[in-house]
Amino acid sequence: MPSSEESGPLPAPPPDPDPRGATDDDAMAASRRAIAHEPERFLPIANISRCMKNALPENAKISREAKELVQEATSEFISFITSESSDKCLRERRKTICGEDILYSMRTLGFEEYIGPLSAYLERFRATEQARKTERTGASGDEGPTDSDADAHEEVRVPGDLARSSTTGE
Amino acid sequence: MEDSLRHLWSQKLAECSSASDFKNHLLPLARIKKIIKSDEDVRMISAEAPVLFAKACELFIHELTLRAWAQTVESRRRTLQRSDVSAAIQKTDVFDFLIDIITEEELLPHQHARPTPLAFTRNGNLAE
Repeated sequence: MPSSEESGPLPAPPPDPDPRGATDDDAMAASRRAIAHEPERFLPIANISRCMKNALPENAKISREAKELVQEATSEFISFITSESSDKCLRERRKTICGEDILYSMRTLGFEEYIGPLSAYLERFRATEQARKTERTGASGDEGPTDSDADAHEEVRVPGDLARSSTTGE
Repeated sequence: MEDSLRHLWSQKLAECSSASDFKNHLLPLARIKKIIKSDEDVRMISAEAPVLFAKACELFIHELTLRAWAQTVESRRRTLQRSDVSAAIQKTDVFDFLIDIITEEELLPHQHARPTPLAFTRNGNLAE
């Protein structure tokens, strides 16, 4: 007779991803419970909640279910854009999804209003990275930010080469 | 609401044009990266990708929330409910990709989860 399956000790809850998320004891306890049960396919509900609050008047309240739906919608948004970006890279035989791919996908999928702010943001990010590199090495680098994976960034990106889609294919 | 949105985009453009802190984000980069990489077709992503997505998600959440709030105000409430978010999704073309996360019960009148098949009369005309 097989012994009943013994489950190991419960895994420790993941560390609080955003200690700035809650402001009082009850909220922190609820936040920790939520984090412990949160699928990793979603962004933490505390962060989602803060973004939502930034859009609303001071006295507005948000139901838990509303936050959960926005949480789910945000993951869908990321996947939606990612899928389109990934397709673009496949078509153009590139391995690495970069900023331009993401911007291009947003334009294609109807998020035109996002392009202005995001292009500006990307430019600021690249300039900041460039400045940090120059400070560190004392020489001006001409490489874009290195890939977050082990391999080196596949393509060199020059600041200013923004918002335009990749030159290959298309 | 259209005014609020127009104002939102110019406000966000101003913010983004002067952004300088790329270490602290409203949304955690590591989790964003996990979600991106959950797509099997994705191989490598540049370091800027999660950073850009963090800001993009901020914009997305902000727009969705504003549109949902318009429903809340219309119903003369001060608590944003799930049904407000659901209505905003269904009323906004660019949010069509989200239709699958809305349950049957939440569908607004005249909306369909799946396209209804067209019916034709005997002589080939579209049936009403």
